[in-house]
Amino acid sequence: MTADAARPEIDPPQRRVLLRAGGLNKRFGGVHAVRDISLAIPEGAIFAVIGPNGAGKSTLLNLLSGIYRPDAGSMVLGGIDLTGLPAHRRVRHGIARTFQKIRLFRHLSAIENVVAGFHIHYDIPAWQYVVHGPAFRRNHARCRQEAARLLAFMGLEARAHLPAGSLSYGEQRMLEIARALATAPRLLMVDEPAAGLNTAEVDTLLERILMLRRDGLTLCIVEHNMDLVMKVADRVMVIDYGQFLFEGTPAEVQSHAGVVGAYLGGELR
Amino acid sequence: MSDAEPARLTPARLGLGPIGSRRLALLCAALTIAVLPLVFTDTYWRTNLIVCALNVMLAIGLDFVLGYAGQLNLGQSAFYGIGAYVSTLLITRLGVPFWPAFAGAVAFSCLAGVVLSLFAMRLRGHYLAIASLGFAVITYQILLNWISLTQGPLGIYAIPPPPPLTLPGLPAIDFHDLANLFYLVAGFALLSYLLVDQLIRSPIGETLTAIREDEVSAASLGMNCGAWKVFAFGVGAAVAGAAGGFYAGFVGTLVPDAFFITESFTILAMVVVGGMGTLIGPVCGAILLTLLPELLRGIGDLRLVVYGVAVTLVVLFIPGGIAEAARLALGRLGRSSRRGGAR
Repeated sequence: MTADAARPEIDPPQRRVLLRAGGLNKRFGGVHAVRDISLAIPEGAIFAVIGPNGAGKSTLLNLLSGIYRPDAGSMVLGGIDLTGLPAHRRVRHGIARTFQKIRLFRHLSAIENVVAGFHIHYDIPAWQYVVHGPAFRRNHARCRQEAARLLAFMGLEARAHLPAGSLSYGEQRMLEIARALATAPRLLMVDEPAAGLNTAEVDTLLERILMLRRDGLTLCIVEHNMDLVMKVADRVMVIDYGQFLFEGTPAEVQSHAGVVGAYLGGELR
Repeated sequence: MSDAEPARLTPARLGLGPIGSRRLALLCAALTIAVLPLVFTDTYWRTNLIVCALNVMLAIGLDFVLGYAGQLNLGQSAFYGIGAYVSTLLITRLGVPFWPAFAGAVAFSCLAGVVLSLFAMRLRGHYLAIASLGFAVITYQILLNWISLTQGPLGIYAIPPPPPLTLPGLPAIDFHDLANLFYLVAGFALLSYLLVDQLIRSPIGETLTAIREDEVSAASLGMNCGAWKVFAFGVGAAVAGAAGGFYAGFVGTLVPDAFFITESFTILAMVVVGGMGTLIGPVCGAILLTLLPELLRGIGDLRLVVYGVAVTLVVLFIPGGIAEAARLALGRLGRSSRRGGAR
């Protein structure tokens, strides 16, 4: 029944699974948006989820990040059962995400957006929220510094003090990633990070994603841009009509008839 | 880092002024409070000053909930009333001394805020506004109809002001004197301001602002939006409860009509006219909207029209309120002076 048993093994050397989900289901009224999807994201890998519009990719991501509750199914992250946890609790176990439709704090500056991402890492005695003591100042300085570093990493250091809403579309996508990284995640899930980006920006994004993986981060990418997926992904899962279609390496996906069918609108099964 | 970008007036920069200027502002505020009763010596104006200070507290409390946490709370009049009635009943019925009764009023109002927000946690925007307004109506009706406890519309009379305060080495400070009472209430208003200001400058401020801007996004960063909204409501209601605790001793009589739902809208107008999401704005708004009707007394009933038109104009044309207008004016001033310097 487990997803792995039926599928080709993960590329050698065998990697530990970071996130394992089994039998996920989500209905919205009569629409069965996600139907019995199981997945296993190997630690340190880039795991891509692709599929045509309306295939249920974003719903799947919302289930994994805890924005939606699944009607059925379970999720385990590194031995911790996430199934019943709300989104904000999952962040503390190391899940961070970005949004397909950008959801920045538009009226806050870029750096304030990133600083907000440090929320779970504050370590200040309660009274110092009222009387700002040394621990408060240390935390404050460290967060600003770390936020500036993350902005620089995403190439946004010159935008630090501009309102997030005034940044270009591409910059906003980068800022969302910087903000998600501020939570210091083990698994970063990015929802269509390349949507609306120009070629140069996609290249930058690719480079950053690869740098993050090199540093040991596990990524789950929901993406339309096949080019990007084929370049960076270690594993690709294809879904259509809310159902699992195929999983394999990028090369395997490209040669799989069913996948080509789904993308070209051909007959399934 | 901030030096890299000269001459940019960003909200972050304006909000995070150097510590020196904050101390200076605090000193100015304290001095103004000290001087005001010396300038206005008649009972009428001193009464108005105290009303100003009470309204400043109410506006600060609401601004924390509305301006920072982004929750449209129309229950502020109820928390004000709960504070007033709880402290008065503790004093008159149970013989509790003023200050413990005051603390009880703050605690009970805070609790009421927490309970309301627990019930209304899943609501936002207009729905929360309706729920909180309903809470204000219910509270008013209870105050009006639970006659055995509150004496209903008959009211509670002859409520004494806070007891004299004796500080070592000083003559007793008698709060029958309106100037002293003003110092007390204004001192607490300043204290509320500082408390809320400190909270806002801490990560709590960042968290509440993030929740105001986008709850889903805030949750994706690990923020427990529900719990933080409850916290904001609790703080806002506690500040209103403190204002209520002073109200009864100041006015001397307590009737439910003082806490009718229109009071909620008046407080809302103060926050909106002053500028939501800034602290100094609602303070200015509270003072302006308290004094404006008094200053317009000369034109009789027309004053209500002028008042209404003034509020409407601000909301229509300066949605950021007084704070926004001042910021724009300062920005323009700064630009023109720089241009002058360049020439």
